[in-house]
Amino acid sequence: MLTEGLVVVHERLGEEAQRLMKLVLKGPIAKTAQAGQFVAVRVQDPTLASYDPLLRRPISLAEISPESDEITLLYRVVGKGTEILARARCGDRLSIMGPLGRGFSLPEDGELWLIAGGIGIFPLYPLAQRALAKGLSVRLFWGGDNQTFLESAGLSEWQALGIPIHLSTMDGSLGQKGLVTVQVLGLLWEFNGKVENSGQTMDGKLYVATCGPHKMMQAVTELCMNSGVPVEVSLEERMGCAVGACLGCVCTLKDEAGTLIHKKVCQDGPVFRGEEVVWDVSC
Amino acid sequence: MCPVDSTTELAGITLRNPILTCSGTYGFGEEYTAYCPLEALGGITLKGITPLPRLGNPVPRLAETPAGLLNAVGLENPGLEEFLSSYLPKVRKLPTAVIANISGFSLEDYTQMARALRRDSGLAALEVNISCPNVKHGGMHFGTDPQSAEDVIAAVKAETDLPIIAKLSPNVTDIVEMARAVQRGGADAVSLINTLLGMSIDLDRQRPVLANTFGGLSGPAIRPVAVRMVWQVYQAIDLPIIGMGGITTWQDAVEFLLAGATAVSVGTGNFVNPQAPLEILKGIQGYCEKHGIASVRELVGLAHKS
Ligand SMILES: Cc1cc2nc3c(=O)[nH]c(=O)nc-3n(C[C@H](O)[C@H](O)[C@H](O)COP(=O)(O)OP(=O)(O)OC[C@H]3O[C@@H](n4cnc5c(N)ncnc54)[C@H](O)[C@@H]3O)c2cc1C
Ligand SMILES: Cc1cc2nc3c(=O)[nH]c(=O)nc-3n(C[C@H](O)[C@H](O)[C@H](O)COP(=O)(O)O)c2cc1C
Ligand code: FES
Repeated sequence: MLTEGLVVVHERLGEEAQRLMKLVLKGPIAKTAQAGQFVAVRVQDPTLASYDPLLRRPISLAEISPESDEITLLYRVVGKGTEILARARCGDRLSIMGPLGRGFSLPEDGELWLIAGGIGIFPLYPLAQRALAKGLSVRLFWGGDNQTFLESAGLSEWQALGIPIHLSTMDGSLGQKGLVTVQVLGLLWEFNGKVENSGQTMDGKLYVATCGPHKMMQAVTELCMNSGVPVEVSLEERMGCAVGACLGCVCTLKDEAGTLIHKKVCQDGPVFRGEEVVWDVSC
Repeated sequence: MCPVDSTTELAGITLRNPILTCSGTYGFGEEYTAYCPLEALGGITLKGITPLPRLGNPVPRLAETPAGLLNAVGLENPGLEEFLSSYLPKVRKLPTAVIANISGFSLEDYTQMARALRRDSGLAALEVNISCPNVKHGGMHFGTDPQSAEDVIAAVKAETDLPIIAKLSPNVTDIVEMARAVQRGGADAVSLINTLLGMSIDLDRQRPVLANTFGGLSGPAIRPVAVRMVWQVYQAIDLPIIGMGGITTWQDAVEFLLAGATAVSVGTGNFVNPQAPLEILKGIQGYCEKHGIASVRELVGLAHKS
């Protein structure tokens, strides 16, 4: 769907040096959107029509509010496109395509662990909300550079959900020092042990959804596969059309027969089952 | 005033209007239907196919440049067999003229596909992308050597009864020479232009952005080159021209028509605005009304008339 989203909130998120922005758009997209889906936003200075930058920018849905017809995008200003986007003001209308792609699936019951690295946290929030609304137990593991980042990127909103949260920072300023996967490994062992001691199998007990740097999602997938836990990962790739028409955004997967195949991150993803992703590709 | 007549004729095919979409930017026809109804288009051109399936190049395949896009998809496609069994049955039912696009790395590649794609396939025409290296001849591109281009078009023409559209590469010294060559080969129309070879370097990584190093440049950045080539080819040969390269607005499209294009094709412009084809058609009709022109066909080559 191509719509004009009305900017109702656009403000800095947290500390200035983090360069994070919160953008709330009013429009019909929220009615049909799933957690993990994204929109393709046209970035253009409204006072100066131009084809530089040319392409739309893919940004995940960080909040989906069908009752108020609002979606929230949280993004980091990293280059020309996001810099121009950051200039949009309340009352402006932004051209958005979406909701796009295939989002996270919501397990029927059991426990859902969300594992985020950096701003990979953003698409996981609506998933947490929907999982909680469905009565699932949700637990968050989140790693970032430092305390300032985590607090800027929405830690208090997560705390307000009242779920167990395990934080890691690279400098040790908040939570455990080091990689988020270390904490995941510890708890996964514990979880596994409990299930085995009760004479049961892991089937249907635990699900993992992860978003963050490539290497982190790869490590999370390996941990999950070793414990027989289904894991969904959200991939990123440069996009042209964002609807599956240009083949610019492919990722490599292994099909059931073990053959390497390409799928489109924009249309078949961005969320894929971790075990089918080929992480170290050379084709 | 009567409504403007938008219909046009190209290589013996009657088109509802002169707006097409470019190969490789419009998938196999269904990707954009939520944004642009196919009924509204003159036709669509499918992603280029080759005899065997191809996985294409590694990512990153795309790099954005000022008002442009570099792509190195590497002709990823399902291959002829899969195209015939899984895609053709669907695309032939689409409510618009469907043009298949074929690519090859030898003369036999092209003839094999032409043999399988004839009028009874339900396709409207066959676009022959000659911007590929001929691996059997030291990698010399079909699209840069006039004799190879003539030969490949003649060979395809001999195998199929579909109208043949020769898609020319702009990466040549003399586009007119190439256009004359494909006319001699028996082409029924020409498409101009394919992408311009380019590259871009990541200053942080100090490496090329594209995994393939080089890519084809498309988008508004290449439009003046494309308009110039349409202009030159219009003067030199008798075949109808499908103009493409950076068309994003109706003004861009009118420019191509005035330069001598019988139809226009929207590629990268769809990525920017998935409703661009619709807006372009409306804009062209409005332009005709404003200038008291009864049919879009009258615009073709108008800028050449003194
Ligand atoms: C499915 C998906 C969801 C995303 N969700 C978010 C989000 O919620 N919040 C957020 O801050 N960022 C998100 N990103 C990344 C975001 O798209 C890029 O940061 C943004 O495109 C950068 O544009 P730029 O012009 O500022 O940067 P530049 O580096 O100048 O961009 C140059 C080109 O590269 C592309 N590009 C650059 N970085 C990325 C990237 N990481 N992924 C894909 N394309 C890129 C741009 O789109 C542009 O075409 C997401 C990416 C994808 C694929
Ligand atoms: C992502 C992408 C893929 C393309 N694939 C093909 C292809 O398979 N065959 C072909 O003949 N041209 C291909 N092209 C070239 C386009 O059809 C068109 O000639 C070119 O992009 C110029 O038009 P534009 O500026 O409107 O995009 C491709 C272009 C892009 C951007
Ligand atoms: S961005 Fe075009 S296919 Fe995914």
